[in-house]
Amino acid sequence: MTLSRPTLGIAPRQWADAWAGLKAIAPLMPGSALFGLAFGALVNIAGINPWVGNFASFSVVAGASQIAIVEAIRTGAPAAIAVITALVINARFALYSAALAPVFAAFPMRWKLGLAHLMTDQAAVVALQHHDDWPDPVRRRWFVVGGALPFVAVWCVGGAAGIALGPVIPEAWQIGFIVPLMFLAVMVPGLRGAPALTAVGVATVVVLAAHDLPYGLNVLAGALAGIAVGSFVPDRGRHPDTDDGLAHDAGAGE
Amino acid sequence: MRTFLIFLAAAIGTYAIRVSGIVMFGGERRLPERVERSLRLVGPAALAAIVANSLLLDEGEWRPLGAWHLAALVAVGVALWKRSSGWTMAAGAAAFAALLLAGL
Repeated sequence: MTLSRPTLGIAPRQWADAWAGLKAIAPLMPGSALFGLAFGALVNIAGINPWVGNFASFSVVAGASQIAIVEAIRTGAPAAIAVITALVINARFALYSAALAPVFAAFPMRWKLGLAHLMTDQAAVVALQHHDDWPDPVRRRWFVVGGALPFVAVWCVGGAAGIALGPVIPEAWQIGFIVPLMFLAVMVPGLRGAPALTAVGVATVVVLAAHDLPYGLNVLAGALAGIAVGSFVPDRGRHPDTDDGLAHDAGAGE
Repeated sequence: MRTFLIFLAAAIGTYAIRVSGIVMFGGERRLPERVERSLRLVGPAALAAIVANSLLLDEGEWRPLGAWHLAALVAVGVALWKRSSGWTMAAGAAAFAALLLAGL
């Protein structure tokens, strides 16, 4: 990055900061592409208008809820049920949004409004994990956009490919495994400290115990229970320079 | 058209959810210590809930023990050892492919 002139009106320093964000989320991008491919294939099978399928990818930007909507449409569920199911599945984004508020506090309002749309699970967690390394709000916002926008772009491209090509990945490959794998890859490398470990354990137990709840409500219940119980656990071994409950993933940039 | 409107409503609702906390708690003032401690656990708790639901359950029913569980164990082991997302993805995918090829 030795450029001294702006490119597309963006200065070299900002490109470099966005590139650092891209490197932080890059390991998860194959998962985003494959998950997008799976969503697109489902749109194709369901006979949904390709334009509507692509519209869903870049307007909703939340894979699990999009798949739930397609399934609801296929099974002839009422429109209101399809929408409510999707919003319940996406309710966890309210938790990320609250957690990101202090991270984004010093950004201009238009950045807050724009970045909010890009906050997938993965991008939100990358921003939460790394924000301490970016105390300057201008540099931080470029890091965040670099760690969010390309991931969404890959999701949309994967979806478009799946819509165009249909189910190219054989059923026998069980591509659904990409979902837990991608979330393990973003969660476990940074997992440290008694409160975070407690939150993980409680969330897991509650999700399993509540597996009869409809509309994916067990996921929301598990996340809330994990946060509530974990916040009561004292963090004795707390290192003064980590304050996000997740340590930094040194290898993520490779 | 009906499908488009369903996705449009979901998109508007999802954006409202995503922007809610950023706008409501977006001031420069510090949040209470207790709230900050809770918010630090959002990432681990939400991710663990998604993993449990997609790995150990299959559309609400228990997933039979097999390649999913074993490959996930490999991924967790590598994640704790290497502390790297890239290594975790690679090891988990390789283990899963090997287990499927082995007929599990």
